[in-house]
Amino acid sequence: MYKQPITSKPGSVTARLPFSASFLPLAMELVAKGAGGFGYKDREASSLVLAMEELFSFYARQVAGDSVLEIILEDQGYRLALTLAFQMAHPDLRAFNLTWRVNPDNEESLEMLGPMLAARTVSSLRMDFGADELVVLRVTRDRDYAPARNVALPPPDLTQAIRLVAPSADDVRHFAAMTASSSATFMPKFLTRPGMAADMFAAGHLHALLANSGDWIIGGVLWRPLTDTCLELYGPYLFTNDPDDLVLTLLLDEAIGRIARSAYRGVLRRQGALARHERFFDFLGDLELQGVDGMTKHCVYYYRQLREDSGGVVYCNDPLAAFLHTQYERLCLPRQVRARVSDDAQLRDTSVLAIELEQARSLAIIRPLCAGKDMATNLAAHLELLRRNGISNFQVEINTGRGDDTAFAGPLADTGFVPRLLVPDAGLGDLVIYDHGARDGLS
Amino acid sequence: MNLDALIPDYVRRFQAYVPSKPDHLLMQEYGAPRLHRLNNNENALGPSPAAASVIAGFPPGQAAIYPSGDSYDLRIALGDRCGIAADRFLVGNGSCEVISSVIKAFCQPGDNIITADKTFAVYEWVAEFSGIEARLVPLRDYTFDPQGILDQIGPKTKVLFLCNPNNPTGSYWTRQTLIDFLEKVGGDKIVVVDEAYREYVEDPEYPDSIALMERFPNLVAFRTLSKMYALAGLRVGYLVGAEPVVAVVRRTSVAYSVNALAQQAALAALSDDTAHIAATRSLVREGRAFLCQVCSDLGLETIGGEGNYLMIRTPINDMLMYRRLMKRGMMVRTMTAFRFPGWIRVTYREMSVMVSFAEALAEEMRLMPMISGAT
Repeated sequence: MYKQPITSKPGSVTARLPFSASFLPLAMELVAKGAGGFGYKDREASSLVLAMEELFSFYARQVAGDSVLEIILEDQGYRLALTLAFQMAHPDLRAFNLTWRVNPDNEESLEMLGPMLAARTVSSLRMDFGADELVVLRVTRDRDYAPARNVALPPPDLTQAIRLVAPSADDVRHFAAMTASSSATFMPKFLTRPGMAADMFAAGHLHALLANSGDWIIGGVLWRPLTDTCLELYGPYLFTNDPDDLVLTLLLDEAIGRIARSAYRGVLRRQGALARHERFFDFLGDLELQGVDGMTKHCVYYYRQLREDSGGVVYCNDPLAAFLHTQYERLCLPRQVRARVSDDAQLRDTSVLAIELEQARSLAIIRPLCAGKDMATNLAAHLELLRRNGISNFQVEINTGRGDDTAFAGPLADTGFVPRLLVPDAGLGDLVIYDHGARDGLS
Repeated sequence: MNLDALIPDYVRRFQAYVPSKPDHLLMQEYGAPRLHRLNNNENALGPSPAAASVIAGFPPGQAAIYPSGDSYDLRIALGDRCGIAADRFLVGNGSCEVISSVIKAFCQPGDNIITADKTFAVYEWVAEFSGIEARLVPLRDYTFDPQGILDQIGPKTKVLFLCNPNNPTGSYWTRQTLIDFLEKVGGDKIVVVDEAYREYVEDPEYPDSIALMERFPNLVAFRTLSKMYALAGLRVGYLVGAEPVVAVVRRTSVAYSVNALAQQAALAALSDDTAHIAATRSLVREGRAFLCQVCSDLGLETIGGEGNYLMIRTPINDMLMYRRLMKRGMMVRTMTAFRFPGWIRVTYREMSVMVSFAEALAEEMRLMPMISGAT
């Protein structure tokens, strides 16, 4: 069974329990008491307790009798992160599909959807599968923060010398309030909650660079990890006139210089359009997201590599191959696209999908785990289920370097998913992002 | 095996450098019918005639014999050439090896080194993966900032690394600037001056660091045979300093790291360098005049000084420009990793290649409106 030693660190609680129903109360109590101990309010803690109850109950039914569950509850300052890790000797991976045992025509069967119910109450939920049949469920619950209050903005025509500064957490808090006061478009949640931005910065989960003129903060740029290989950049947000893009250029050049020798291979920016973007980024494409307020947001994706590209090979077939050819040619990416030789008869019967839910953006990110003969049916069932649960936006991420992912290309097309853009080096190989054209009804 | 538990934090944080693939694979990946290397500041003229002759005539039987473990003959020749004792030289497998030896010799966890933020990265890298803090001082006007470095010195500072001329900006300190700096540093820190491109500098005010070592025994110079002497493929670099300093660095150096062919070729290269240096300087002067004019005509900003390279600010991000130029068979060096995003560095080469590069660059500039409009 799962015997990796538990390593505890300050700000975390760890435990290993038998993974059986009789230990559910202890697991729930651990989360409740732990969250309280870290200073989280009952309302914040109860979300994770409910998540623990649903996930524990749901998956305990799937594992062998002698299974062990490892629990890690970590206070990351701005959020609590709950990790459940366990092994399944002979996993029936269908259990990890959200749609397992669900008959979409039977409303009562939704009660079986532990993971989905858990996800409704938390900020994010993610499943990962490791070596040795390791299953890892990660759930986070953001601390509740007060929304930004209006703060003064600098006069638009400041003429004093510009200085770039590495900010303190308090600077970041004030900067977030300024961006909210400036009515900037495309504000990530942490900028609308200045306390959250400050806590994320203090935890090392967010990085920032500000531009000052005199006593004023006149702009800034922020970044944080998006994947193991890719950073996401926010901004620059500017509060004064910048007709020659002087401040914008200073901020972007310095920020990229600071991350250039990091472990990351690229930087993604997905906000509104950036004028004369080509000096800093490659244009990848755009996507629309329907917000929880019903408003449609148009996201333009820009990217830049941080390392010189020395090529790669992708095995796949049309229609994905045709899309990749076009993108690789347009972006001058050195990739060979070779036909994938596969025999559908060799596929396992059932495919498996992992889902990441972002409630704030009403977004479900679907990631293939295993290819199977039922890929199209499985995708359609997930789509249906997620819609029933009020999710408006659906994206599928395909790693070009993983055969089980590229096998989904045909079924994705069959279920109405369209490849929209390619993010180089952002996954195992490049990452292709699909979205679903029909948001308001089933295709 | 719990590999993670074995790895020191500073190694876990560090990312391995990934060199580019061999030319034949890059040409295949990019669909380029040819590949001109303008990325590594190599000398397009190749080794001097004497060195080339040694390389061509290397007896295969000698490959079975260990080389001199401390590059004995080469150190004697270097000593004769500089009029100092051979024991003041330490030869390494390229100057990267002696960088590592110096840091290992003088630094332990808790200590720090100081260098510039936008310079040759290996000083910073070696320090970081050795658990030593690298304090980085911003360049001032694209030049190492003496006062900025002095301001960063603390009680745990052991080594100051200066790149003179600086790679990639080509700026350099004069003799007087270096003397003023050394006087202010005092004698209790090691000051390393990396002179990889010294032979390209024609200014008489450029410092003779060996001459200064009598007065400043904490001064150490790095030199290489990879650049002007065109032996990059054989990897020979060396360190010169005061005898007690070199004796300490020798303790942390690996013997037998410089192969026999490299030692013999280096000896030969030093023996007939006058015409070779003159010819290379002429090639660089011609390339510089040509490429600066091309960039001026195209409206592209440049940063250049001494050394066989020029930085060019590109209207698209440097990574995209790299890929676009690769498709045309022109391999330049992106400057993002040097913390100059939006710039490329181009090595001066023979005029036929410079002309081809200029044509490729001009064609890319012609296509800029289409790239820019891709939103």
